[in-house]
Amino acid sequence: MKYVDEFRDPELGRVLATEILAAVEPGRHYKFMEVCGGHTHSIYKFGVDDLLPENVELVHGPGCPVCVIPMGRVDDGIAIAREPGVIFTCFGDMMRIPGSAGSLLEAKAQGADIRMVYSPLDALRIAKENPDREVVFFAIGFETTAPSTALTLKRARAEGIRNFTCMCNHVTIVPPLRALLESPDMRLDGFVGPGHVSTVVGARPFEFIPRDYGTPIVVAGFEPLDILHAIRMILAQLAEGRCEVENQYARVVPYDGNPRALEVMAEVFELRPHFEWRGLGFISQSGLKLSEAYADLDAERRFSVPGIRVADPKACQCGEVLKGVIKPWECKVFGTACTPERPIGTCMVSSEGACAAYYNFGRFAREREVV
Amino acid sequence: MSVVALDDERGIALCADGAGARHSVETALVGPVAIGDSVLVHAATALARLS
Repeated sequence: MKYVDEFRDPELGRVLATEILAAVEPGRHYKFMEVCGGHTHSIYKFGVDDLLPENVELVHGPGCPVCVIPMGRVDDGIAIAREPGVIFTCFGDMMRIPGSAGSLLEAKAQGADIRMVYSPLDALRIAKENPDREVVFFAIGFETTAPSTALTLKRARAEGIRNFTCMCNHVTIVPPLRALLESPDMRLDGFVGPGHVSTVVGARPFEFIPRDYGTPIVVAGFEPLDILHAIRMILAQLAEGRCEVENQYARVVPYDGNPRALEVMAEVFELRPHFEWRGLGFISQSGLKLSEAYADLDAERRFSVPGIRVADPKACQCGEVLKGVIKPWECKVFGTACTPERPIGTCMVSSEGACAAYYNFGRFAREREVV
Repeated sequence: MSVVALDDERGIALCADGAGARHSVETALVGPVAIGDSVLVHAATALARLS
């Protein structure tokens, strides 16, 4: 198959659904976690969960990069944005993430020069166009977007652009997965592994999951047939007594990733001793900062940031959603006090957030069921 | 996205997405690309060559 329509073929979807139904053991409950927010979005958008047997449950993991940013980091970003002469740039989703005293969008409305960019390259262009201003890029994302930030910093260095810095919030995927697997209240039968992160890191870093925790993982693409196929592959492993890393997304993901991307990341970034994740707390060696060689481009060194840890609002249950402990609709404020228009929690902001995906697509199917 | 033009000097390609919108894309991580190649792009950086 080559074209996207082929990966959305309803007839093939029904064939896979029939195979999945035949592969499950009656009376056994299967709980699979899709790691990536892109998967969560596709599952709800295309109604993939409606095609699954009742005893196959999908829970949503911590793979939405916007959703895992803690409130304190938003406050730090706003503090920099309010510095005189600063142009603060970030991705669109990030603008609406609530901090303790409002979002970047609200700070912009109050006068801070905060601009939405499509990429770090856009931020660098703004820096070139405004040599008398300090331009800061608020970098977020897993290993999927980190190479883009790294290349941009290398480009800034090569072109001698001195008014450009980066506030680095990049995170890595393996530590939170290990933290979830270590969690006593988490029992998973398999993972639908992250597709685009694996384009960079490959599938090999996930070998610890079957080896150390006895849980299969299948790296999957983002179209509905990809996800159904991955679930079918996990069920086949369980039925055959196998437990390994498999790569359903081989048309894009090399088993060892993209060596050039890994090389540029290793040059520009280094691991922080620990980093706070919304809902998951501090996880050792899970966040990236700029390496010593790029310290002069680190916004956290050029500007003063409060660096204060801020607890999530009590009503918000994003933490439980991100850990797959509760479903979005089980949160006390889902769809009432917390909506995509007025989000309380991060999961309701990004299109990859489980709550936003469910609010935009899944709730209609559930409402039909309830009726 | 598919590559529609190349700026070899800057290491950047002009790429068109499925809707025809055009974007500048860094191609350093996938090696030399040619017009007509398909690439997987994240945050204006090509991460993988699809063709």
